[in-house]
Amino acid sequence: MFFSLSLYAALLICLLGLAYKVWTWLTTSIGPGSADYTPGQRVRAALKGMAGALFSPRIVPLLKTLALDGLLQRRSFRVSRLAWSAHLLIYAGFLLLLVAHALGGLIIGRWTEYYPTLNPYLFLRNLAGLLLLAGVALVVYRRLKLPGLRLTTRGVDRAAIALLAVIMLSGFWLEAGKILSPQVFGQMVSEWADAGNQAEVRALQAFWGQEYGVAFPGQAAPPAAELLAQGRQLNQQYCANCHSAPQWAAGSYLLSRAFKPAAAALAAPGLLNVLYYVHFLACWLGLALLPFSKFLHLFTTPLLLMINAVSDRQKMDPANRATVRALELDACMHCAVCSIHCSVAVALRHVPNLLLLPSEKLAALDRTARGRAQERRQLETIREGCYICSSCYRCTRLCTAGINLQDLWFAQKDDLLAQAGLGEPYVDFARAADQAAEPSRSQSLLRVRQEGFQHELKLSAQAGTFSECYRCQTCTNVCPVVFHFQQPKEELDLLPHQIMHSLGLGLREEAMGARMVWRCLTCYHCQEACPMGVKVTDVLFELRNLTAGGGSTREEA
Amino acid sequence: MRYALFLGCKIPYFVPQYEISTRRVLAELGVDLADLEFNCCGYPFRHLYFSSYLLAAARALALAEAQGLDILTPCKCCFGSFKRAQFLLKDKPALQQEVAAALAAEGLAYSGLCQAKHLQTVLYHDVGLQAIKARVVRPFAGLNAAVMYGCHALRPSRVTGFDNPYAPVIVDRLVETTGAVSVPWEGKLQCCGAPLRGKDDELSLAMIRDRLGECRADGAEVLVVDCPYSQMQADWAFDLMQPKDSREYVQGTVLYPQLLGLAMGLEPAELALELSTPDLSYLLSFLSEPQPKKAHDRR
Repeated sequence: MFFSLSLYAALLICLLGLAYKVWTWLTTSIGPGSADYTPGQRVRAALKGMAGALFSPRIVPLLKTLALDGLLQRRSFRVSRLAWSAHLLIYAGFLLLLVAHALGGLIIGRWTEYYPTLNPYLFLRNLAGLLLLAGVALVVYRRLKLPGLRLTTRGVDRAAIALLAVIMLSGFWLEAGKILSPQVFGQMVSEWADAGNQAEVRALQAFWGQEYGVAFPGQAAPPAAELLAQGRQLNQQYCANCHSAPQWAAGSYLLSRAFKPAAAALAAPGLLNVLYYVHFLACWLGLALLPFSKFLHLFTTPLLLMINAVSDRQKMDPANRATVRALELDACMHCAVCSIHCSVAVALRHVPNLLLLPSEKLAALDRTARGRAQERRQLETIREGCYICSSCYRCTRLCTAGINLQDLWFAQKDDLLAQAGLGEPYVDFARAADQAAEPSRSQSLLRVRQEGFQHELKLSAQAGTFSECYRCQTCTNVCPVVFHFQQPKEELDLLPHQIMHSLGLGLREEAMGARMVWRCLTCYHCQEACPMGVKVTDVLFELRNLTAGGGSTREEA
Repeated sequence: MRYALFLGCKIPYFVPQYEISTRRVLAELGVDLADLEFNCCGYPFRHLYFSSYLLAAARALALAEAQGLDILTPCKCCFGSFKRAQFLLKDKPALQQEVAAALAAEGLAYSGLCQAKHLQTVLYHDVGLQAIKARVVRPFAGLNAAVMYGCHALRPSRVTGFDNPYAPVIVDRLVETTGAVSVPWEGKLQCCGAPLRGKDDELSLAMIRDRLGECRADGAEVLVVDCPYSQMQADWAFDLMQPKDSREYVQGTVLYPQLLGLAMGLEPAELALELSTPDLSYLLSFLSEPQPKKAHDRR
């Protein structure tokens, strides 16, 4: 009763959750223009798109993708054999358990009699369980071994692994306990054999104790051959029709051998009862949480891969593009392949912002798109992650779920700018430098800093950097930026030679705030041309770095 | 000759024709390429995050060094980025130590052995003009080409050592092997504007527009570029081009290996010419008829 009630409750939560998820795919907006469509319009566009794919020759690539990328996981195979093996083990084990164990009565029972204690089910269940457990072990090994994965492993990943482990281990323990338990033997005898006949029960007990490993208390010496033969015959008569030899339950049987010395405690009826509840309730928990956990990728990832197989994101109906982007947020199973291979992950050492890693950026996008991260600080962190990206598309190319991550990053940049006014950080740094320079500008430029040169600074504050400069203005004369403007002083605040001179006078804020610093094209004409070898371009680079914090190192350390 | 091919971040997605034509032409010239999984060269970080820049560049150099290979990059900004990192790591012990510590955490090291080379320095110095000329079977006739040297390869010359910063010849000579004429023009040593793209679009776009106009004014029928950033700048300018501007811009931009490959008798499709915009098929009309193999090849 409790079993069914709790199952239906979990199923209900799961279905409601799935409905909610579908609703979010129709209402979440990422990127400019996405919000222009009502859920109704998005449903219509999606149905039209689906019909166009299903009732046309495009069904061929669609099915091919389902087989190669969905079932065989070709994309994962190409990226990492280890990840692919782990995933395939889990997924094959899971499917097998679902069909031959969880839904055994429902599916197999339709065609033929189904006894979970009978082969092939007894054996298959154990095989599947072992596959899944091996997969979980590989996943744990990978997460511990790869630095990129260790860095990105989150609570949801640990919870998913833990839940699988609990289900598997409780299942094996429960079965091992049942193999050992004399009480379970007694129940079976009373149900299936002639329990009134004490002699027969003794013979069966002798056989099951000796051959099938039941841990009867006080059973020391092997039984007499005659009794054993009788037991074997009775086993054939009463049991074998619906109970295969427990040795077929390979994993559980092995475990039961390890447990045997402490069988009374490890296979106590009360404990087995608890394990039974733990086992099925953990399964129900997985079922109920499916729409809200990474297990949702079971549906979303194949769906996305099929959509990708028959459509081009650029040419797609914008209403569908909006829906697919929202779907992508739920297609990620957080395998972190994108982050392990990210071109700019190396920047993490000096810019400790995990959001520059694609997998983490996607999680942040998920939060902002669903309105769960709106504080300025959070958005600025996300912005930093977005702009420390070299747009190499490697994450998109490698993503095992087929998520067009780069498309999402561009959409995210547009949204940050439109919704929070957060654009290219470079521009904001330029503005901040300009504001910081303001107080100094209003004072007399004759005011030279009392403290003289600041020794903690390098290029831009060393007398040696400028003492050679005799203000010939060659740097300014060769600068294409200066040349570009009709009135360069009005557009640039200070010209290159004036910046060098200001720094020589210790007027660093004024120099940093000059628009020239932020409009430098880094073409190195000035530095090449300086007759005295002043590193003009490098100084400008350093001034920008100083404004941004730039990490710990300076050019001329 | 074997190099680690460093494509950088822009070529694979934004300028795939550069990768395709580079691989094809180098294979034809007997240059072997190894594909390693590199990180970004660090160039995009240089404006604001110097430490990240230096570590990224050093890490890529270390990855190639671990294979005992020099780096060949078709990108001039990656090239400049590596050259500066090599320069800084050579005689700045403090930087060297910091970078070495970060690399050691991953079991990597950079001793300065691995050299970064640009596609064109490999072609000019390592393959050699004679070897290239020997493979040119359909030289261009009467094609006026403008070459753009690329700021980050050329300057600061003390760091990059690409060529003479005021009178460079490498790219001119390479273009001349194809039979095209390298015309003198105003913007040859100038900036394409790429570094300020997204930061100051107006200034950035003005630079490439000036270049596209100047080379046409100086009589070029095509602009030869050899950096994905310059190519992307040109793509951007052409995308935004109004019909009335078309007379002011050069007709098209070609990547050097595409130009060389055509002169070597390769099919346009092998050089992904169809991916270049504006359409470059007009270049084919400048190709001469295939010439019989040169005498020394017949032996």
